[in-house]
Amino acid sequence: MTWPAIRTILDGAVVTAALAAVSILLSLPLGLLVALLRWRRVPVVSGLLATFVSVVRATPFVTLVLFVYFILPSAGLELNPVPAAILALTLNTAAFSSEIWRSALQTFPLDQREAAMAFGMSEAGTFTRIVFPQIWRANLGPLVSEVTILLKCTPAVAVIGVVEITRAASRVGAETYEPLPPFLVATLIYTALIAAIVRGQRVVERRIARRFGSVSP
Amino acid sequence: MAENAPAISVRGVCKDFGGFEVLRDIDLDIATGTTTCILGPSGSGKSTLLRCLNWLEEPSVGSIRIDGKPIGRTGEGKAAKPMDRRELAAARTRIAMVFQHFALWPHLTVLGNVTEAPVHVLGRPRREAEEEGRAILARVGLAEKADMYPHTLSGGQKQRVAISRALAMTPRVILFDEPTSALDPEMVGEVLGVIRELAREGLTMVIVTHEMSFARDVADTIVFMEGGCIREVATPHDFFTAPRSDRAKGFLFRS
Repeated sequence: MTWPAIRTILDGAVVTAALAAVSILLSLPLGLLVALLRWRRVPVVSGLLATFVSVVRATPFVTLVLFVYFILPSAGLELNPVPAAILALTLNTAAFSSEIWRSALQTFPLDQREAAMAFGMSEAGTFTRIVFPQIWRANLGPLVSEVTILLKCTPAVAVIGVVEITRAASRVGAETYEPLPPFLVATLIYTALIAAIVRGQRVVERRIARRFGSVSP
Repeated sequence: MAENAPAISVRGVCKDFGGFEVLRDIDLDIATGTTTCILGPSGSGKSTLLRCLNWLEEPSVGSIRIDGKPIGRTGEGKAAKPMDRRELAAARTRIAMVFQHFALWPHLTVLGNVTEAPVHVLGRPRREAEEEGRAILARVGLAEKADMYPHTLSGGQKQRVAISRALAMTPRVILFDEPTSALDPEMVGEVLGVIRELAREGLTMVIVTHEMSFARDVADTIVFMEGGCIREVATPHDFFTAPRSDRAKGFLFRS
């Protein structure tokens, strides 16, 4: 493989990593917000969010990308491919992660919340000081697994013309008539990215275990 | 008004859960500086009454005052309005609670559990709260556990941390909801010992318990409940030697 070919794939890797990073930073908090609103049973909003989650969970990701890019403009939201890709990834992971957050909120020990109430903590204080520090730690595994799924969804955004790793690799393959080397490189890059994420998870988990003896509360 | 007001006064409190009456027309005054033990068979409504005192359960009707100041609702009778959340939270800071299953916050150290509400609810300076927290932990014999996490402690130690957490609020009243029921028998003593010490110091405490000999020993007043009603309010001596109601007699003979 030539250097320019490798460069093409590496550029794709930067796009993939950037798409994934931005979408992770947006979607996990958004998923938490969705979960909180549904958990608090905010009238109307809660029902709308339940529908949103069901629809997104049932929609193949490629379809969701096409929807965001081609259908939303008719609703007045015209996006360039990269923002459209970020929006699609964010909506997808927000919907899936909101279910993780929601079950964490539902199973959070009632007595700890009651203790917070009995000591005069506000609801916001109880959430930020008591609930959240425990639920993110306890659900690190499932959340990271959502993140790796997000990363593996990124090739789907090629359908709207975003050149990420897989798209770059197939271009190189098409030009050189040798698909194997570029796809091997692509696979290596995906593996490295996922390994970095999982490694990060291990480090955090080990730190939690050192402090608390176990990961779950 | 606050000067001579009882630490807690309960007037006409009823509570029903979906049509089932758990508390019926409860009136009760708890004098400042006294220890009150609430006794009664399970299902008699004693824990529900205790949880009404800090509004963890909302009475269907009736009013509760802490040191003369209302909690949960302001105004009387028909004009009573629910407090907003901030008022309720502020009212709760004057009345601390110790739970049956400790309800410690596992992600905080022992000292963190003790200082959490003083710092983040009462707004005390952290250093001051920590100093005080360590002093309280020393008082319950847990000075060396301050920087440990709750999961490393025994049940008896956890409950002593929970008591420290309550003391750190310098509350007007501490409520105990069956503080020894979740403990192994050999740990009951250490927790009761701490409570006994607090009674001697003149803290105002309301304790729901099944520990008869402890109640007899430590209480200034025994409140006996049955079927959602207070059947008897008496000194321990009178209650245990000459219970007036047949139901109390039945209860004492059974246990």
